[in-house]
Amino acid sequence: MLVAAAVLWELLVRAEVAELQFLPAPSEILVAARAAVTEGELLGRVIHTVGVTLLGWSVASAVGFGLGLILGLSNTAYRFSMTSFEVTRAIPPITFVPAALLIFGFSLRMELVLVIFGGVWPVLVNTIGGVHAIPSELRDVGAMFRLGRLATVRKIVLPAALPSVVVGLRLALSLCLVLAIVAEIVGNPAGIGDGLIRARQALQPALMFVYVIVAGLLGVVLNAIFRTVVRALVPGGDTSDVRSW
Amino acid sequence: MDRSGRPTGDSARGRRFEVLTGLVPLVVLVIVWEIIGSPDSPFYPAPSSWWPALFTRGQGEDIIPAIIDTTRTFSLGLVIAMIVGVAIGIAVGVSARTDRAFGPMFEFARALPPAAMVPVATLLLGFDEPMKIVVVVLAAVWPIMLNTRTGIRSIDPVRLDMARSLRLSRRRTIGSVLLPAVMPAVLLGVRVATPVALVITLLVEYLTGVNGVGALVGDAQRTFQPARVYALIVIAGLISLVVNSLVRSVEQRVRRLHGGN
Repeated sequence: MLVAAAVLWELLVRAEVAELQFLPAPSEILVAARAAVTEGELLGRVIHTVGVTLLGWSVASAVGFGLGLILGLSNTAYRFSMTSFEVTRAIPPITFVPAALLIFGFSLRMELVLVIFGGVWPVLVNTIGGVHAIPSELRDVGAMFRLGRLATVRKIVLPAALPSVVVGLRLALSLCLVLAIVAEIVGNPAGIGDGLIRARQALQPALMFVYVIVAGLLGVVLNAIFRTVVRALVPGGDTSDVRSW
Repeated sequence: MDRSGRPTGDSARGRRFEVLTGLVPLVVLVIVWEIIGSPDSPFYPAPSSWWPALFTRGQGEDIIPAIIDTTRTFSLGLVIAMIVGVAIGIAVGVSARTDRAFGPMFEFARALPPAAMVPVATLLLGFDEPMKIVVVVLAAVWPIMLNTRTGIRSIDPVRLDMARSLRLSRRRTIGSVLLPAVMPAVLLGVRVATPVALVITLLVEYLTGVNGVGALVGDAQRTFQPARVYALIVIAGLISLVVNSLVRSVEQRVRRLHGGN
């Protein structure tokens, strides 16, 4: 069916039925893709975007998980900050782009800050949720064994909250990739997003589609790698089909 | 406070109190910012300078139309995404054959990040209102469609058998059996799609400069008016809060009408 759609698309463009002036035929996209690959341009951009995504995601995960653990475990911390986090989280990350641009300029720093800022939330929310959802019986078991605070966290809270945390990590990963690409489109002149916007300005729609498709493939591949790693490392951590944008 | 250590907030007053105490860090941040920030700072202008910055140089008249523009694009996009998403979701949910035929294509389309589609859409469709709506629909349709599909598949087969026993026509089966049963799932999809649609609306506006709050933010940034940028961020945040809580309350009401899960 996918093939049939591609053939239909090709025919429509060839026959000039499609009225969209800049819609490239699939064959043109393939040609542009081969050129971008052989010139090595594509690889460099992919490496940049993936590198920033992974770096930002790691920082965001560490921050989100740490904060989430504190807020999940301590009622006082939860009560005296949760609304602030909810309010800040509600602000669409996109609107922070202009502020980040003013503060950091067109730079890698701007891209990283945006990626980290956006990636923190899913991890934070899911960690808190995971900790809060621990059945009280499990905590009672900890109390019965007279576990200390640290031991309770390590032996009971962490394992029980892990599946939820993993969901947060996965959502954050796809979000970080998207935000990296957005940051590249609007600011930092590097990576896939920049390639996309350059192709657009040079009126090379075929190349532009190459970048869009590569961006999509990257999301799928990163997600698949994440799932494989989780399946190998975390028993029962292979979570259901939760997906953000 | 239950034993799992979660604040339960027994009374409404307790919960309201909790919401207020939760604001403490934000309030402290704003106060500290106000004290150490100067109104002319190029990066961190003091919060008291944000509100006036909305109205300097006769820019005050742009605000309300921009909010209306953004809300319109967003809600039109979301409504269209809902109609399309539910239609496709029902089609692929009811028939396994349609699902097999179109599944891979949807998987492919879903994988394309909507943010990356914005430059493509501007090139193909030009800089206008329909382009904005197309991009928003492209982004918001997937969560709705996937949830509808799952909802259809989890309908108790007895209900469908019942429709058959009553010899309901295809149209009445969809209208009186499928749609009501799938409504909660659809609304869950809409709730997931809402922030996505809003983010994409603002992004399109920011990137293309075609109307709306996003375009105003981009404008303020390019003309170096940091206080105005922050003020508009606050406005965008407020829109997002209002829209999200609206969708959530609609969802809860429908859920209650349909009796539970």
